Amino acid sequence: MADPVQIQRLPHDAYIDAVRWLPHFSTFTRHILLAAFDSDTSTPSLQTIQFSPSQSASSVTPQSLLPLPSRITSLRTCSSAFNPSRPIIAASTFSGSLLFLTADLIHGSLNLEFSVAEKGFHNGSVSGIDLSDNGSECVSVGEEGRINLISLEEEEGGFRRVFDSTGLVSYSAVKWASPVEFVTGGVGRFSLHWWDQRKPGGPVVLFKENWTDWGTTSGIVHSIDIHPSRKYTCLAGGSSGTVFAWDIRSPKESTILSSVGLNDAPTHSLVESDVWEVQYDNYTHSSKISNQSSSRILPAMTCSEDGILAVIEHGQQPTELLAEPCAINSFDIDRQNPSVFNCAPFNIIDTATLQDVVCSLEWESLAILTRP
Amino acid sequence: MPGVMSDSGNYDALAIIPHSSDASNPRIYSIRSHGLTDPLARLSISWARGNTLRVSLLQSDAVDEQRPGGQVLEVKLTSAEGGEISGAQWRKIAYGSVAPFSLLQSRKNSIEASRYKKDWWEHVMEYSREISSLLGNSNSSPSPIIEDAKVILKKVEEPISLKAAWELMEIFYADKQAQIWLPERLVDWLADYDCLLSGTQPTVHLKLVAFQKGLVTIQTVENDTEYWETLSSALAVGWLDVVVKLLRMHGSYLFDQLGKREIENGLVEAVALLISQMTRLRPDVPAKRLGECYNTKSEFMKAWEKWRAQITKLDCSAFWLQCDHQQTRAGLKNMLQIMLGNASILSNVTYHWIELYISHFLYIRPFTVGLESMYSLAQKCMQSKPISSRHKLMGLIIGILEENTEVILAECSRSFGPWMITHAIELLTAGSTQAEILIREQQPKLGGICIEELHRLGYSQILSSHALTWNIAPIYLTSCMKQGLGLLENLLYEQPVQHQQVLLKSLEICRLNGLDYVGNSLMKIAGVHYWKHGKKGSAVFWLQEARDELRLNRIAKHLFDFVGKSVSDESFKQWEGMLELLGSESRTAGGLEFLKRYRDFRKSLQQVSEGITTDAACISAEMLISLMKNPSTPQQFWLSLLFDSLKLLNWKDRPLLNVAQTNLLLNKLQELSLARLRPDFVDSDLPPEALKSVRLALASNLGRAILQE
Repeated sequence: MADPVQIQRLPHDAYIDAVRWLPHFSTFTRHILLAAFDSDTSTPSLQTIQFSPSQSASSVTPQSLLPLPSRITSLRTCSSAFNPSRPIIAASTFSGSLLFLTADLIHGSLNLEFSVAEKGFHNGSVSGIDLSDNGSECVSVGEEGRINLISLEEEEGGFRRVFDSTGLVSYSAVKWASPVEFVTGGVGRFSLHWWDQRKPGGPVVLFKENWTDWGTTSGIVHSIDIHPSRKYTCLAGGSSGTVFAWDIRSPKESTILSSVGLNDAPTHSLVESDVWEVQYDNYTHSSKISNQSSSRILPAMTCSEDGILAVIEHGQQPTELLAEPCAINSFDIDRQNPSVFNCAPFNIIDTATLQDVVCSLEWESLAILTRP
Repeated sequence: MPGVMSDSGNYDALAIIPHSSDASNPRIYSIRSHGLTDPLARLSISWARGNTLRVSLLQSDAVDEQRPGGQVLEVKLTSAEGGEISGAQWRKIAYGSVAPFSLLQSRKNSIEASRYKKDWWEHVMEYSREISSLLGNSNSSPSPIIEDAKVILKKVEEPISLKAAWELMEIFYADKQAQIWLPERLVDWLADYDCLLSGTQPTVHLKLVAFQKGLVTIQTVENDTEYWETLSSALAVGWLDVVVKLLRMHGSYLFDQLGKREIENGLVEAVALLISQMTRLRPDVPAKRLGECYNTKSEFMKAWEKWRAQITKLDCSAFWLQCDHQQTRAGLKNMLQIMLGNASILSNVTYHWIELYISHFLYIRPFTVGLESMYSLAQKCMQSKPISSRHKLMGLIIGILEENTEVILAECSRSFGPWMITHAIELLTAGSTQAEILIREQQPKLGGICIEELHRLGYSQILSSHALTWNIAPIYLTSCMKQGLGLLENLLYEQPVQHQQVLLKSLEICRLNGLDYVGNSLMKIAGVHYWKHGKKGSAVFWLQEARDELRLNRIAKHLFDFVGKSVSDESFKQWEGMLELLGSESRTAGGLEFLKRYRDFRKSLQQVSEGITTDAACISAEMLISLMKNPSTPQQFWLSLLFDSLKLLNWKDRPLLNVAQTNLLLNKLQELSLARLRPDFVDSDLPPEALKSVRLALASNLGRAILQE
């Protein structure tokens, strides 16, 4: 742990709407997927870039670029069971369509497989999507209050309407909890709804905050994460630097990990404005996790409008990984741990646990963090 | 006005042709429109953000459902050449300069408070270095391990004139340490940026580039006149490392020649040694540059005299007579003359006046101090080397040497743009009190603002005109005392609220700058926008955030029309999400408050219909009374509320309502019957006998209640 976190900032000459790691294919190179918007030519595009980590100087090379008709609102990737070199990509657009693509990591190309057309799908932009673990189903939510399911295995371009709130609720984020359950986040008082496809007609459980001394009683949930090992606990981040965990087994209770509006917030909060993305951070060694009781919330990484990338641990001071003068719009943790990298010039393969985080910064650049 | 050109009926080929009297060639911007084949009914053109035009193409009414009714396109009007710096690079500079600028401003504020200005220039220098690093690295390329013997000029990234201008400002205004060795800093400056001047004028750099190109084909360099000319030129402007490297290419160094040309080689080496030992009045030289440095004038003076004595001694040496190679002898002698400061030779071997100027500093007047004497020297050099076309950097240098703040400001603004002037003013005011007074003084002809503010406002307008940079404009606007806040408000109101991200960004800017009232208005605008677009949930959310009871009440009336009015109605389930939004009692909900009570009442009614305890029924009855008493309960709900509660009114065990309560309900019923006569009355979709049965139930309840009392 003596080595500091390595930070690499890469200007990109285009606004980055979303960023994701693509599943590993080779041990020495990693691929980053970007949804970019070139403001000079007004062209949105999806791009893959190759990242070769190395102790001395990691290098980044652009690999492929696919122009798109509309800007991307949300991006998800998933490895393909049939062909590991062609991971599946789902991308939702501002114009209200959903695109499914595959990335050919060997030949360096992006191929559009099929898309769900705008008409009748969502009215306005698609605000959030999530791919199921095996990549067979995709759930999408919109500001206008529709929730749709798209099966990647059935006929192309079809979708199923799960719910339509007719505008009474605006959804902003969605995350699968199990093959049949998912959680939506929306505009309101940190609105979280738990859905079960076996019980159609409406949400099964609604989160009701009972936070006292709450200065700003309302907020928008921008991002949700659920750990595969603890599917009842839902981690959410949103307005006023708020990050909390909600266990659906006790829907009236929640654990606040960070917030500014709350007087009885358990820890000092680093972030004062919107938390754009939350993800469970699997960086902590697995032995440590097993020692923790199940009531303890796993460590979470967040990025925020005020430019802070931090790790929040239940009952501890948050750790700041990156502080930028501009907003950090999104980030992604490389889930495949440990990574192997080449120690130039000796060609010794170092199998030390390394973990990379890629962030998209508001000022048209990327940052890649390598944690020892 | 741009005209619209269309050939035949093909609307994929629309174009806008700019019309101006001075441009000889009109530029055509083609517009790509998808799926618009029918004749266009209307076309409207308006300005969008920055220099983009918004073109709205509307089709005629007779278009079927499948096709769009029209299209809105944006056309970016840009100059074709684009200039030295691309849009993306400009943005990168703009982003990068935010942090140093705001740090300097906050330091300025804290220092002004404590009246401690002694080390101010150190902060300015830090700022200047950070800004300078944004404009490109001067020595970025790593040197190869094995250097090519034939490469005299290392290939570096072409510097931009903006960086050259910035460094000039830094040399003259920010770097107080460099004041003593100002001439030497100019030598370094020219070494870095002489290539920029090559575009308009022959320069030493150009000469070197040309020689480098021909070098591979030359067999014996010392026979080539170009070689000696290049050597003298490079020596004159003080590029000692280049000169020494070139000298070592001399043929006498070759192993097979060494024996025959010993004397000649000795002379070449002696000159090379003298060059590398040249005395310099500066604290140090960068790596790989040559010269012996002296910090103080007296030490330098001594060393310089000694050095010149050595040159003179070599010049008078008898070895020259023994040197057979005529070109070598003439060339080396010429170089010695340059080092001794022979003005006419210096003038011969330099091209641009600034090169001559630098050579004077190096070999004739190393002690030139004070801008006045520097300016008079510059004038002399300009007279001897008049230039046909003036480079924009020269305008700036002359302005600086003239000590004319107005000229400097004009040159910065005209040649290098609003970014430069906004950021360079910090250097100018730090380095010159006279400039500071001029720049910070309130000018009545500028409407009471100072020059500094004027330029900051101008720069923030440019930032505001781009979708990716508008959110850094507030940093500059908030540093403007007079007009900044007003323009910031305008900027925030101009942002499109329909994009939630932009709205949240605007609100964040409001929060950081304490503009709560602007944020409040933005939330109201957003609320109304979402309401109009059917996003009822978001609308209520933003209006609640803005605590806008007035609008909440107004939309409540419309919302109630959607609510199912019967307990059994399943559609009420989807209102759960909305009700959750309304939250606790303390929140501003306006008329929407009713929805919550209505929901609670329905819940308890449902419990009553499931179970049969009198206590639960009592609670429900209480809720009914409070709902009916509450003025916010809309009239259209009265009857359905009562109709749903028939079971309560006909409770078997005992009457649940007392006389007063029953009378209240009867009064409400009466009021309702009267209201039916009004034209705006909304009839409920209840069965027609509903009113009758409610009336009957109330009457019988009244009877029972009277009996019980």
